[in-house]
Amino acid sequence: MSDARLNRQMLAELRAVMEDEFTLLLETFFADTEQRLDAIQQGLSEGNPEAFSRACHSLKGSASNLGLELLRALCKKGEDLGRQGSLEGAAEVIAQIRAELEALAPLLRAEMATS
Amino acid sequence: MKRESPDDFQSEGVIANRNLKILIADDNLTDRMILQTLVKKQGHQVVTAVDGQEAVELFEVESPDIVLLDALMPRKDGFEAARLIKDAAGEQLIPIIFLTSLSDAESLAKCLEAGGDDFLSKPYNPVILRAKINAFNRMRQMHMTLQQQRDQIADHNRHMLHEQQVAKSVFDNVAHNGSLSAPNIKYLLSPLSVFNGDVLLACMKPSGGMHVLLGDFTGHGLPAAIGAMPMAEIFYGMTRKGFALTDIIREINRKLKVILPVGFFCCACMVDLCLDQEEVEIWIGGLPEFVLRRGSDIQMIKSNHLPLGILSSEGFRTNTYRMEMKYGDRLYMWSDGIIEAANAHGDMFGDARLMQLFKSAPEGASLYEKIREDVLSFIGDQQASDDLTLIELTMMPSEDLIEEGKDNVRASSIGPRDWKFSYELRGESLRDFDPVPVALNLVMEVPELRSRSGEIYTIIIELYSNALEHGLLGMDSAMKSTSDGFMAYYKLREERLNHLEGQFVRIQADHQPHAGGGVLRIQVEDSGPGFDYGKTDAKGNLEDFSKFSGRGIPLLRKLCRSVQYFGSGNCVYVEFEWFKEAAGS
Repeated sequence: MSDARLNRQMLAELRAVMEDEFTLLLETFFADTEQRLDAIQQGLSEGNPEAFSRACHSLKGSASNLGLELLRALCKKGEDLGRQGSLEGAAEVIAQIRAELEALAPLLRAEMATS
Repeated sequence: MKRESPDDFQSEGVIANRNLKILIADDNLTDRMILQTLVKKQGHQVVTAVDGQEAVELFEVESPDIVLLDALMPRKDGFEAARLIKDAAGEQLIPIIFLTSLSDAESLAKCLEAGGDDFLSKPYNPVILRAKINAFNRMRQMHMTLQQQRDQIADHNRHMLHEQQVAKSVFDNVAHNGSLSAPNIKYLLSPLSVFNGDVLLACMKPSGGMHVLLGDFTGHGLPAAIGAMPMAEIFYGMTRKGFALTDIIREINRKLKVILPVGFFCCACMVDLCLDQEEVEIWIGGLPEFVLRRGSDIQMIKSNHLPLGILSSEGFRTNTYRMEMKYGDRLYMWSDGIIEAANAHGDMFGDARLMQLFKSAPEGASLYEKIREDVLSFIGDQQASDDLTLIELTMMPSEDLIEEGKDNVRASSIGPRDWKFSYELRGESLRDFDPVPVALNLVMEVPELRSRSGEIYTIIIELYSNALEHGLLGMDSAMKSTSDGFMAYYKLREERLNHLEGQFVRIQADHQPHAGGGVLRIQVEDSGPGFDYGKTDAKGNLEDFSKFSGRGIPLLRKLCRSVQYFGSGNCVYVEFEWFKEAAGS
């Protein structure tokens, strides 16, 4: 049922809890994530490891709640990096997060379609 | 008491968990949506805030029961919001649960320091969420119960203090009343609590003497005061009716035994100051020993009875000390608070210091002020640990006392004026019973005689004691002229009383009104052998009564218009005439 990318069992439970609002939740996630990505990017371009770390932490929370295991792990990597006061490798982490989000998008769209 | 079953608690808990208002603050919209839905599905009302600033504002407006706070938020983070919310909550317990996936110890400690009570980590687990909300709700309810009870206790305490103050004024009216302002009494009563465990009562007797009672109830406050009420009532009531000290103390003991719980009692001393006879009679139970100062001579009077309210009437003894007490002699009584008064070092004032004061004082001087000052300066600023009670009674002629008791005269002018009664005491009744108060009460039903109760009492008591002590017991008053003889007299009297058999004393009284007032005729007859009263005139009045001073005959002659003896001298008849006072005088 699950793979490294998507905890399907968790998603199923969430669908049961949210009922009609499940689709809205995922839409919200997509919209919210755009803002988080902007914040993460901004942290890097401003050379502010703390802001970078905090933005990664925030996205990690949502990823965790939705059972997006790989995304959560990537966010954690970014959060830890920033917390250590370094932005070395931050650009690479951002790229990985973006790639993961692109990979997730069709899977989550499919989940939305089944409801 | 009905005990609630665990089921009751549970169902109550479920009901109470419904309709909680829960504030959720998270800047992450996705997470907020999920948490909001979970909490709502568990039956609670949800208010949401997008950051710490809004959380604080909403808290003030919505007064939620529990707050769920994300740690990292723009504008105000969770830490600061938590601090402000706890401040605003004041005495209320508002549980704050941090929503965080922070895992380092430092961040978690920061949450607790800011006032957080627990954590909830992402991803949210509905089971854990429910458990935490329930647990904190129970804690919140306990806290509320605690505060309600605390407020209730504070309320009750305020209420109780107020009631005590009201009760104290009633108590003071009852317990520290009567003739305490008489010039021969000096006293100190310092209340340790609102209510004092010490009671001091004084009342003039119809015969002109004075009864004084000092009582020290176990404990302080209300329980001590409750016993004082009936005690005062009996003391005043019976004293005014002319009852003897022993009858009064017996009745008080009986009453206290009935009303006081086990373990509560009253150390007491009752004094009968016979002002005209310069005698004192003392019953003392459980109090510290007292001092009778005659000039420079100090006599200790020790307690020889258990306190009042312990023994049943059968076991209670009323034997008393009877002593000479000349004018100017002083009697000192105190409660143990005086001896146990402690200074800053915890040293007690003690017996030795008190005795030294008595020994070193100049002859005949009042020691009251000196003792009072010494005790108070000894304890200094310390709080006295017991009630400090001290009394000085001085023997003085009754004329020197302010006429008390006028206010005791019943105002009613209704009562029988034309009557006759006969009262005969036989056998054992002569030994155990004093008929004088009964007879006096009947006579006092004549309204105009009430203000003359002192004279009437003297007449009746003289006639009756002549009949009993001289007529039946054959006692000789001359014995009483020395203090040794004084003791011997009462001892002999007691012995002879116990061997009295087949005798009687008959009291007959007759009252008839006339235009200007009325005449009270009293005849007392005893079954004794009588005495040689010498020659009488045609009417039966004694020609020479002066030699019978031991029988109080000169006194009777002074009070009555006629005193006549009949037969062998075992029958005496007196007439007391009274006149209405001129209107307006």
